[in-house]
Amino acid sequence: MIKIENLSVAFDGTEVVKNVNLEITDGEILGIVGESGSGKSVTALTLMGLVSETAEVTSGRIVVDDCVLREAGKPVDKKLYRTMQGDNMSMIFQEPMTSLNPTQKVGKQVGEMLKLHTVLTKEEIKAKVLETFEAVGLRNPELVYNCYPHQLSGGMRQRVMIAMAVILHPDLVVADEPTTALDVSIQNQIVALLKDINTKENNSMIFITHDLNLARRICDRVAVMKDGRIVELGATEDIFLRPQESYTKNLMEAVPSRLKRRVSAMKNADNKEPIVQVKDLSVFYEDRGSNPFAKKVRKCIVKNATFDIYKGESLGLVGESGCGKTTLSKAILGMNMITTGEVIQTTVRPQMIFQDPYSSLNPSKTIGWLLQEPLRARGILDPSQKMTKADMEAAAYEMLKRVGLEEKYFTRKPSQLSGGQRQRISIGQALITRPGLIVADEPVSALDVTVQAQIMELMQNLQQEMELSYLFISHDINVVYKMCDRIMVMKEGQILEIGETEEIFAHPQNEYTQTLFRDSL
Amino acid sequence: MKYFVKKIITLIMTLFLVSVAAFLAFQVIPGDVVTSILGTEAPPEREEQLREELGLNKPPVVRYMRWASGVIKGDFGRSYRYSKNMNEMMPVKELIGDKLPVTLWLAALSLILIVLVSIPLGVLWARSTNRFVDAALNCITQVSMAVPSFFLGVLVTYLFGIVFHLFAPGGYISYHDNFKGFLGYLLFPALSIAIPKIAMTARFLRNSMLTEMKSDYVRTAYSKGCSKRRVMYGHVLRNAMMPVVTFLGMIIAEIVAGSIVVEQVFGLPGIGRLLISSINTRDFPVTEILILYITFVVIFVYFLVDILYRVIDPRISEK
Amino acid sequence: MKKSSIWKNKYLLIGLFMTGLCLLLGILGLFWTPYEPTKISAAERFVGPSLKHLFGTDNFGRDIFSRVMKGLSATIVIGTSVVLFSATMGILLGALTGYFGGIVDEIVMRITDALNGFPSILLALVLISIFGNGKQNVILALGLVFIPSYVRIVRSEFIRLRDADFIKRARLMGVSKVRILFVHILPNIFSVFWVSVMIGFNNAILAESGMSYLGIGVQPPDASLGKMLSDAQGYLQRAPWFALSSGLTIVWLVLGFALLSEGVQRMNNN
Repeated sequence: MIKIENLSVAFDGTEVVKNVNLEITDGEILGIVGESGSGKSVTALTLMGLVSETAEVTSGRIVVDDCVLREAGKPVDKKLYRTMQGDNMSMIFQEPMTSLNPTQKVGKQVGEMLKLHTVLTKEEIKAKVLETFEAVGLRNPELVYNCYPHQLSGGMRQRVMIAMAVILHPDLVVADEPTTALDVSIQNQIVALLKDINTKENNSMIFITHDLNLARRICDRVAVMKDGRIVELGATEDIFLRPQESYTKNLMEAVPSRLKRRVSAMKNADNKEPIVQVKDLSVFYEDRGSNPFAKKVRKCIVKNATFDIYKGESLGLVGESGCGKTTLSKAILGMNMITTGEVIQTTVRPQMIFQDPYSSLNPSKTIGWLLQEPLRARGILDPSQKMTKADMEAAAYEMLKRVGLEEKYFTRKPSQLSGGQRQRISIGQALITRPGLIVADEPVSALDVTVQAQIMELMQNLQQEMELSYLFISHDINVVYKMCDRIMVMKEGQILEIGETEEIFAHPQNEYTQTLFRDSL
Repeated sequence: MKYFVKKIITLIMTLFLVSVAAFLAFQVIPGDVVTSILGTEAPPEREEQLREELGLNKPPVVRYMRWASGVIKGDFGRSYRYSKNMNEMMPVKELIGDKLPVTLWLAALSLILIVLVSIPLGVLWARSTNRFVDAALNCITQVSMAVPSFFLGVLVTYLFGIVFHLFAPGGYISYHDNFKGFLGYLLFPALSIAIPKIAMTARFLRNSMLTEMKSDYVRTAYSKGCSKRRVMYGHVLRNAMMPVVTFLGMIIAEIVAGSIVVEQVFGLPGIGRLLISSINTRDFPVTEILILYITFVVIFVYFLVDILYRVIDPRISEK
Repeated sequence: MKKSSIWKNKYLLIGLFMTGLCLLLGILGLFWTPYEPTKISAAERFVGPSLKHLFGTDNFGRDIFSRVMKGLSATIVIGTSVVLFSATMGILLGALTGYFGGIVDEIVMRITDALNGFPSILLALVLISIFGNGKQNVILALGLVFIPSYVRIVRSEFIRLRDADFIKRARLMGVSKVRILFVHILPNIFSVFWVSVMIGFNNAILAESGMSYLGIGVQPPDASLGKMLSDAQGYLQRAPWFALSSGLTIVWLVLGFALLSEGVQRMNNN
């Protein structure tokens, strides 16, 4: 039984966790959900005694089985914590690659748990580690034992982390975004494994995630956090179906889900005028490896793609990482690729929006400069389209308004903007020359749920206003469902299936499409 | 195995290129060697004779081939300036022969000092939570790094030689006569080379460890219940040492360079002084061989560092 | 960058003060010194530091402070010329090879790698032995020697940035290559570049004074701190201030630039 009572944690005098009360009982999985900066990770790290030393517990206490682990105003009992860490409570982190020591064999790293908390001999430790490896679904445990982290795949590494966390059968396992860094299909295996362990061991688990759909699948109870406070706490289905607080309601509203009704932003769905025609397009990649004298090896990334993008529509492109989505989109944009086949465009200079709002804007320029640069570049390329300074400035101000930002941002630098605001500027920069097509590569994947919903809304509004077409790339099936009129599924460089959104979700033809959709439910 | 073959081929290629560059630089570009040896007043017959003797009347390619094959066979050519007796010019090999051990011992002693002091210092510094110790070490190392080795040599001479009388400045003891005395004397020049590098390496290791302490795997180690000591020595140290090994490799090249300057300060008869005097007197055959030799040492050290790096970092040996 | 944080950056402040003082004395030394630096006075040999002769006098009775000022002028002129030359070359070479890559990049990279590993003072000695002694040749030799260090930094920054999303987008907008190189990328590397310029000053100063200590490079009657130090070494017992004044001036200047670079680095990190 773990109790967090009235816990507040402050960094440099600012509280990031405020009066949090939580109780976790045996055998349950408690989800903590919230957007970035909501204090969910700090809460968990404080509970685990892993929060940095600059953090101060300003009120409340943490009690584990009637033993007071931490209390406000008292120094941390590091010794007591050390006996509990690993043995009574353990943690699984988000990024299994960096969370494992890169220069130590994973077997030894897991074995260290036993070395620290038991009196087993070397041979017994090894036997126990191998046994646990087997239990978490690592085939060939003997081989894995002698591997370094970089020799394993992401899923295997996370299994090693899980093995490490459960090897001493702790009462509490804290999992902090354990599947965020993994591909969808692996994500599901890991979630199933965690759930399975929870049932078998009957221990408690805290599952921290920003992914509400995921929390809904795995947790018994859910706590919603915002700005360091717990806004709402209750049984999972209650929180999702009958949220009480307005913040929770907004959050649930913002979650893209295919259980909700879809609204298309396409103006005239019947007028199918193609603005891009792709015919039998193959894209190659040449590489000579590390040897500069070796002959280039030609690899085929995209095989014989044929499809159209219609005016005013939003075409979704889904598939797992490495399937060739990004390569295909770059080839359509004509970005330095070796291609065969044909791409016929009727629109000028299609633009692109990227996933990471932080690297999408030149950090040394002001917003106003950034918004005008496409116009300047066009003026240099084609003197007939040259605009006066005043006209460019006016256009930039107008675009700023269009993407929903105030005029004062004109003179700011990207570093002074939030992620969502930067993504708005990216969109504005892409649209200022009025291209007919925008390639959006995971444009909302790095954003928090509520911001995600706002950006998607903005994109749909602009699509209607300017009769834009999007090629919308995403790994998140729910986002694609919300945004797109048609969906194209890719695997290993090939287009498996293409169809109207409702149709393809209702009757996926291809087996791969079926599993992809099922996994992401 | 394939890696070693590749490395050795690169090593030979580099040496070849450097030798060509050195040959071109010293034997083809700079004016007429004959006039520089004999002066402008010498009779033309004597000039012609010397030209013949030195092989200067042949085309550069032939001269390079002759010189290079000599070097491979162990004939390093002859000095323009030093003579064995009245009529014979001194072979470079003999000139270098008994100077080499002085420089090598100086470099070795400096390196030993650097490694022995800087690594424990860096680790302890990273572990210390005392603000005063931290500030003091920061100050001391910052200042030591700014002292050039020749001035440090002068300071060491003044302090240990003149004020404390721990050694006699300029009283070099040859390793032929008294090896212990030789090492005792070398200790002071070695200190002059080592002190700034100790400061640099200790700072580097400390910063490396503090950076590693912030990484995710350290948090994992703590979550297992490791003590700070265990985290430091069991997990962080090895990872933090990796950049330090590369850093030490670069320092070794600088030790070799540093010893050239410091030899001058302490009046050591090493190859550094020979190099300086050969440059000053335009004694090109000597300069050439010394450059080639130093290149070899530097490349070989990098080679060793590369191997050491592979031992420490399992991620590299894979590729 | 807020004003208050610059005032809190002790490294930057102390570094600015130390280098600023040297710069002032050095520039002043070009036009005026308290005494004629070459004026010999048999009556005033080896006078200790006093108000009349701040750093005392040397074996010829010359005022050491005036000579240090002259030496500083020479060091600053050489250091600045070397940094200007090598940094400009470094930016051009680094930008072009980093952005365009290819076989030229491969060759330039191999060469800079090899030269980077080689002790810089040694390379400078070799070049001087080819070019011959003299101030101009020292500048040329050191300027050439330090190019690789800038190439490496500039190149790696350009490689990092050429694949950044905002550069990909600039290409899609149709921005020309020259404009991408110098308007879009270059301003972003200055924060890193300034640090290497400070370090470059230090390396140039250390190499120049080391060479003149060895009697190579700057030749009398040109003043130089390294040469002064080697002259002073013979009189260590009799006049320690002679060696200390020239040596400590070098340390002061080098420490100043080191603190400055550390300060700039800290400013960048905030």
